[in-house]
Amino acid sequence: MNTLFQLLQNMALAAVPAVGFGMLFNVPRGALLFCAAGGALGRGLRFLLITAGMPIEPATFIAAAAVSFLGVYIAQRLRAHPKVFTVAAMIPMIPGVPFFTALLAVVEIQRHGLTTELFATALTSGLKAAFIVAALAVGLALPGLLFYRRKPVV
Amino acid sequence: MVAALFMSSNPHVSLASVSHSEPVQREITRLCIETGLMLLQHGAESALVESLTRRLGLSLGVRSVEVAILANAITLTTLSDSHCITTVRRNVDRGINMYVVTEVQRAVLAVEEGGLDRERFRARVEAIKPQPYPRWVVALMIGLSCACFARLAQMSLPATENRDWDWMGCGLTFAASTLAMWVRQFFGARHFNPLVTFFVSAFVATSVAGQGVIYKLGLHPKIAMASCVLLLVPGFPMINSVSDMVKGYINTGVSRGMMVVLLGAATSAGIILAMSVWNVWGWL
Repeated sequence: MNTLFQLLQNMALAAVPAVGFGMLFNVPRGALLFCAAGGALGRGLRFLLITAGMPIEPATFIAAAAVSFLGVYIAQRLRAHPKVFTVAAMIPMIPGVPFFTALLAVVEIQRHGLTTELFATALTSGLKAAFIVAALAVGLALPGLLFYRRKPVV
Repeated sequence: MVAALFMSSNPHVSLASVSHSEPVQREITRLCIETGLMLLQHGAESALVESLTRRLGLSLGVRSVEVAILANAITLTTLSDSHCITTVRRNVDRGINMYVVTEVQRAVLAVEEGGLDRERFRARVEAIKPQPYPRWVVALMIGLSCACFARLAQMSLPATENRDWDWMGCGLTFAASTLAMWVRQFFGARHFNPLVTFFVSAFVATSVAGQGVIYKLGLHPKIAMASCVLLLVPGFPMINSVSDMVKGYINTGVSRGMMVVLLGAATSAGIILAMSVWNVWGWL
């Protein structure tokens, strides 16, 4: 019950940034709904996989791939490229905090000299951010890599 | 026969090409490169730019279209009756705009289906206006988004911490991010370099959220400090960068990735400056 409540809360909280950043990317009005749905689906699926014990990177990859396959289906009806709304749906899963933590740790190393803790923070946060972004991008590209190899999606 | 089979399996060459006079081929070349440039300027990934440009040229009747996308330019060659025309355009980033990308793609699809000729295609593409959402709506929605990120971070705290709703922290994030987004729009509209815009926005956001640490507002003021700058994560270029490289466009992928790191560095500098000014060290 607690997990179900947390899942719903995760999905609702992910739908808002997906729409917010969708508006920043000027996604057409009709596709904003799909941003919200994709954001909620992606974050919800990732939450379930992490709760089931999967590490965050493969969980992100599977969630991104699921949103991308759904995006291909919608894109063909909407007559627009899936990236138009699937990228905004990925925003709630972007590792923003590790990305800035890595860069700030580098600045701190420059200011106060090298310590093992700062170096470890910079490296682990940076790698985490890089791997999650790679999982998101490759997950989004999966329909093209597997099925739409020589023909366009739309 | 064998040659024909081989050629028909090659999507880069059209067998249905017709003979064009030079002015017509020149016009098709211009239409193709202007379409590609428009897509590139508004944040489409390289694979989409290349495939739509090529499809447009082939359906307008040239034999082949070759596109090379550079970091800040696009060059294109059309081949018709063994005559080549090559042209180059400079690419100036106009900001991510998926509405323009969608409309350009629909115009190209209409040409492919035979519904538009050259003149009407040009008229339709030139009529596309960016149509942004009202600025205050975007600023409020981005503030709300960052407040949601703050709540998501509170939820994923370790079990030893208090994971209840921290309304004060979410409200502080909302205020800081909305103000930072307004600053970003203000500087962006005055055509400042994006690096300057991101630096100033990060300073404003961290300064507002840092007050929460100074006056001990809410349960987790440090989460507010981390969440309020998430509007400055260049998420779209990040994903475009990796997918460009995965699809073989290494040079555009690397240049987009470098821009992401530079924007991140500008944001970090803004955060560090704000933390030094207010003497709150919320991150590390």
